[in-house]
Amino acid sequence: MIGAHDSDAIWAHDLTKVYGKLTAVDHVDMEVPAGGVFGLLGPNGAGKTTIIKLLTGLSDLSAGEAMVAGFDVRRQPMEVKARIGWVAAEVILDDDFTGMENLWLQAKFQRLKDWRPRANDLLRYFDLTDRQKDKVGTYSTGMRKKLEIALALLHQPSVIFMDEPTIGLDPGTRRMLWELITGVNKEFGITVLLTSHYIEEADALCDQIAIIDHGKFVATGTPSALKSRVKGDFIELETSENVTEATLRAVPGVTEVRTQGKTWILRATSAEEVLPNLLAHVATHDIRRINVERPSLETVFLDLTGRKIEEDTNEVHDYRKFYATVRRARQ
Amino acid sequence: MSSETKFATITKPSEAPTGPIFGQGSQFEGLYARELLRTFRNPWVLVITIVQPFMWLLFFGSSFANVPLSALDALLHTHIQSYLQFLLPGVLSTSMLTIGMFGSMSTIQDKRFGYMKRILLTPTRRATVYLAKALGSATRGIVQIPVMVAAALLFGVRFNGDPFLWGAWILGLVLLGFGFSCMFLAVTASSSDWQTPGVISNFITMPLMFASSSLFPATNFPSWMQVIANWNPVTYSALFGRDILISGIAHWNYLGYLAIFAVLMGVIGTLVASKYLKAE
Repeated sequence: MIGAHDSDAIWAHDLTKVYGKLTAVDHVDMEVPAGGVFGLLGPNGAGKTTIIKLLTGLSDLSAGEAMVAGFDVRRQPMEVKARIGWVAAEVILDDDFTGMENLWLQAKFQRLKDWRPRANDLLRYFDLTDRQKDKVGTYSTGMRKKLEIALALLHQPSVIFMDEPTIGLDPGTRRMLWELITGVNKEFGITVLLTSHYIEEADALCDQIAIIDHGKFVATGTPSALKSRVKGDFIELETSENVTEATLRAVPGVTEVRTQGKTWILRATSAEEVLPNLLAHVATHDIRRINVERPSLETVFLDLTGRKIEEDTNEVHDYRKFYATVRRARQ
Repeated sequence: MSSETKFATITKPSEAPTGPIFGQGSQFEGLYARELLRTFRNPWVLVITIVQPFMWLLFFGSSFANVPLSALDALLHTHIQSYLQFLLPGVLSTSMLTIGMFGSMSTIQDKRFGYMKRILLTPTRRATVYLAKALGSATRGIVQIPVMVAAALLFGVRFNGDPFLWGAWILGLVLLGFGFSCMFLAVTASSSDWQTPGVISNFITMPLMFASSSLFPATNFPSWMQVIANWNPVTYSALFGRDILISGIAHWNYLGYLAIFAVLMGVIGTLVASKYLKAE
């Protein structure tokens, strides 16, 4: 395909998905060299999961073309599917079957013959050997996630797709997963494409990041290159109704004023210099909360879209959604 | 994290490139085995499969208990020992209508819980998933046969026919069940709504049950219902079984009709499913 390199694990041109009136993925170009960790960072509903569905052949492309693991997603989807692993955000397993039986089903679907030694290795590695004969419905969330990753690694894929890999996990399991993702990638060059709306996660794991909003890539680059794009700091401010935009604009050092819901977002040349000015211009009793955003991927997103990726309530919301999914799956 | 298993062992990527992936045998084996295991490990699925036809036999079958046999013979145009003897092949035929609904429900469950995505993100074709579901449903249907026959014997019904003919009768039921499962799964292929199978079931099951010879002979029907009954595969399954069980005679053209129905539904359904079976 024109523009695709042999060394690309994932390559897409003009990738587009339209659902009715909604363009979920809007003419996206991407190139992930073999051995890379590529992150799609964006808020919920930005189109991250849809991109995974397109690249794995689960959904048909509305327009554009894509190559994954050396094969054309549209013309040879079966070849692609035999070479990729997939870890779902919501942890998808058959709860009525045991851990070993879930591995056995995956081996059948992937047409593996001598899968047992490898399955045993995976179970041992993830500390699931003792529980392999228990139904997955009795596993903890962390164990379920580990088993799902074992399923994704069972057929020795060359590319792994991970959709929000650490959503709803406790900090310990999250750290274990981060180590695993880095390890899989660094030691064996398995290409990883992950989606996340956790700034910290994308920053820590990915060597290339695409910031995505409303189905479009608004910026692509290494985390450090993306961060160096942003000039100045951002100050988030919650105030009473007495404070107007004009007041805030008049503060020396404030270069830009935006709002997100009830929060003001000020761009400043330097937060240290602006804060004293701000307190001089705005009565202290009118200020409810101040938060300084240092240059990070969050400020990159703020800079590009005027909104934050991680809304303040997001964490709570995500957990609820996650457990709702788990509950639904177990009923 | 266990120390005895090295990270290297679990993450080493596959070296040998796999060949072209056309075979679906392994995937079918896994999917079909999953269907059967899910059924036979869940006693409630079995109970619900068996209870419904059993209730028909017990209650509907007893509703003519005090009618003299001569009157029944005149009504049913058949010389019988009891209405139960007439009814058993019919009830087993109509119960093959409902097994498709359970197949649809299990497909929708897989979509809702995401498992369909797990399957379709491997080199497994939609047609393979579909056929495994349809065959799984038909297999669940067979479970009813020995239970119902035993129940009928318990109620004092005596049957004719040799084991070979009984085998043909069961084959007819399997063909009917497979055909209706295929029809059901094709109609609901693109749906992920829990309600759909129930709604469709009312539109398929009720008319085809009553407009067939399974409960009463079609000769008593008004002509418009006779037209439906004459095309209805349930009629041929009921007649085929009844002739074998009551008179020990097999009308092979009836079995042929059922085979054509099963193959036709299988082909149409596979085509529909490979295009419209949704992952979620």
